[in-house]
Amino acid sequence: MALSVLVVDDSPMARKMLIKSLPPDWDIDIRQAGNGHEALAAYREGRADVIFLDLNMPGLDGYGVLETLQREDLNCFVIVVSADVQPQARERVMQMGAIAFVQKPVDAAKLEPVLREYGVVV
Amino acid sequence: MNAALLTEEQNEALQEIANIGMGRAGRSIAGVFDEFVELSVPRVREARLDSLTEAVAGLIPEETLTAVRQGFFGRVRGEVIVVFGMNGCRDLAGLMGYGDSLVAADEDELLLDVANVIVSACLGGIAEQLSTELSVSAPSVLASHVPPAGLFGATREAPDGSGALIVEVNFRLERHSFACSLLMMLPADGVGAIRQALDDFLASF
Repeated sequence: MALSVLVVDDSPMARKMLIKSLPPDWDIDIRQAGNGHEALAAYREGRADVIFLDLNMPGLDGYGVLETLQREDLNCFVIVVSADVQPQARERVMQMGAIAFVQKPVDAAKLEPVLREYGVVV
Repeated sequence: MNAALLTEEQNEALQEIANIGMGRAGRSIAGVFDEFVELSVPRVREARLDSLTEAVAGLIPEETLTAVRQGFFGRVRGEVIVVFGMNGCRDLAGLMGYGDSLVAADEDELLLDVANVIVSACLGGIAEQLSTELSVSAPSVLASHVPPAGLFGATREAPDGSGALIVEVNFRLERHSFACSLLMMLPADGVGAIRQALDDFLASF
């Protein structure tokens, strides 16, 4: 069965760049969300095995999403994709359960090792 | 209302490129102060110079502001203005070990340094995205201790008042009152170059 992948970013451009960086032969069903609330709604519908999560978003931001996911018994892989390259940002999200922190701009070479490490792509 | 200067796609690309520049700038100032920096979502808009005052007042709700300007040129050109609220600056001075003894000259020096760190990192990130290099002029004080209305006074030479693009970014130190805004202004007669650069960027992925 295809894996559900949720791409969360307020910038449509950033979502596009991320989707283009995913392995082309990956059997996935992609959904997009423009903010944290939409992301959580999709997650609760069971539509997110893997979440690519931006941090700075209007409304509910990436940290808010991670917090809620932790409370709700995090049952997906979260890969944070952010332009915020402060070391502290990385530490924070890793403590909040993200499996990886990928710096923007994202490309296939940055994503592939992460996806392989966690076996979401073989 | 003028015709849009950028297409929706170009606008989104500029916003994302600014986002990356802002992230770099955030890391740089976080390094200087050893504090976590909260970043805003960057905003791109078409604005007339005379509406800037209003925009700045909305970004930094302080009565007294100081602004530092730096020009940049290369494939695209324009000017970056970093606006500081003066209450937050006192906090910043404390953080940098100046205590209460900060004299005006030191204060300007401090703000020029901080602005330079922010602007260099931000423009570096932007240039990298556009696969180009941008030169940055030395920072200078545009206005010191003025109310928002005094920032862009008559003495200031506008790049071109009729429809410049403005990219707004906000930085805030998490446990302090220090905050500043970066306004990147692209003059109307340079918009052709930025459009072309954005199209090249869009075609590259």
